[in-house]
Amino acid sequence: MAPLPNVRLHLSNRAENVLVVREALTGVAEAIGLGGSDLSDIRTAVTEACNNVVLHAYGGQEGPLEVEVKVAASSLEVVVRDRGVGIAAGTASAGVEPGIGLPVIEALAHSVAFVETPGSGGTEVRMAFATGAARGLQAPTRDGFEPPAFAEIDHATTATISIAPTALARAVIPRLLCVLAARAQFSTDRISDSQLVADALVAHAGGSIMGSYLSMAVNVEPRDLELRVGPLIAGRAEGLVHDSDVEGLGRVLEKLADSHGVINAASHDTLTLQLLDRQ
Amino acid sequence: MPLARSLARRYDRSSEPYEDLLQVAALGLLKAMDRFDAERGPSFASFAIPTILGEMRRYFRDSGWSLHVPRGDKERALKVRDAQEAFANEHGHAPTVNQLAQYLELEDEQVIDALLAIQAYESLSLDAPRPGAEDEAITYGDSVGEDDARYELIELDATVVAVLDQIPSRERQILRMRFVDGLTQTQIAVRVGVSQMQVSRLLRRSLDQLRELTRDADEPR
Repeated sequence: MAPLPNVRLHLSNRAENVLVVREALTGVAEAIGLGGSDLSDIRTAVTEACNNVVLHAYGGQEGPLEVEVKVAASSLEVVVRDRGVGIAAGTASAGVEPGIGLPVIEALAHSVAFVETPGSGGTEVRMAFATGAARGLQAPTRDGFEPPAFAEIDHATTATISIAPTALARAVIPRLLCVLAARAQFSTDRISDSQLVADALVAHAGGSIMGSYLSMAVNVEPRDLELRVGPLIAGRAEGLVHDSDVEGLGRVLEKLADSHGVINAASHDTLTLQLLDRQ
Repeated sequence: MPLARSLARRYDRSSEPYEDLLQVAALGLLKAMDRFDAERGPSFASFAIPTILGEMRRYFRDSGWSLHVPRGDKERALKVRDAQEAFANEHGHAPTVNQLAQYLELEDEQVIDALLAIQAYESLSLDAPRPGAEDEAITYGDSVGEDDARYELIELDATVVAVLDQIPSRERQILRMRFVDGLTQTQIAVRVGVSQMQVSRLLRRSLDQLRELTRDADEPR
């Protein structure tokens, strides 16, 4: 069986979400010590694949944009997936695009394959990039805890990310929250606070998550970020907030968030955190 | 030329000035035209795109771009920092990314990258006192007598002394202003005499350090 990805992003195909993908890639590169021009190649190629989903996959409608990143010993694999008509039908035949996107991907990626998304008519663009001396990461283990689908989530305004291992999450999650806080029209004060929340979650979640992925869904509204972190081991959601305590300062998560709560399910907990910018 | 322009715009636009990239792309286009054999090749575009991209990548490598943060990025980060301060001074609160982008005529993404990049600049001018900061810092130090009393109460707890005392006093002061007094980062920046981004950086770093220290203390030897 193919190894599981280190990063999974579930986004809508709104143009603004391409930046989320780009920043996730930058975070991955930072975590594995991948430098300038290699990262630029990857960012450029993946951006083209994402833009295709933004522009062509759903015929002007909104639909999912899914991105997966696998970090191996000397390569990085990125899958960009849609569940619409996809690239093949959307651009190649219609001839509406001048078709620069695909040659750019082919020129920059070490290898690229276009395949039909399993179970839907969409397209998967699978790109591999050589990463030379950059560090590899362990693939998440198949432990029965697939990243959650976060039922009832409105993917139009919610970004969902699952990531493993922790060393990768440390570089990626604060970046993503920075992007999403900026989109929520937060001031630079609260953007930084959102990163502090991300730091604290990543630092303390290790003992609380079920399986190997740290997963969260972030809902973005004007001046309002809502985070759902889980699945967490039953009873551990409140414990995660407790663990963020720094003696003399208090519980960092509690102090930075405007409110937090716990959703109890039969087998697991979900921690919710709300950050507002009241300025 | 539209092809060169399109590729220059597409190639990781946030890092280098567009004009520089366009020049390199145009050079790549010339080379491609020179080498293209219409008899044998498929379309010109499919031949030219890899050539142009190859030229741009070589340019980045030759300019040592991969080895350090590009100068343009650093300058932009400092501009964003200064604009953030100017805005906060004028309006009494911190700006949004979009406000900074409009003010500096940048894209939101460039401002976000600047915010993130500034946290990576460890030394440089960022840690140096800001103009006039010395006076403000002293004024602040003189005016917090009341707060000090409260801090001392907290510090009666021996474990607090143990962990918090292991980081520099300025960081300790900033942490308390944020987490005990509930000041915003911009308010803290004004009192301490550094930029808000510096406050952000110091908070992140010192919280990391405190977590390390706590972890070390908890782990059995």
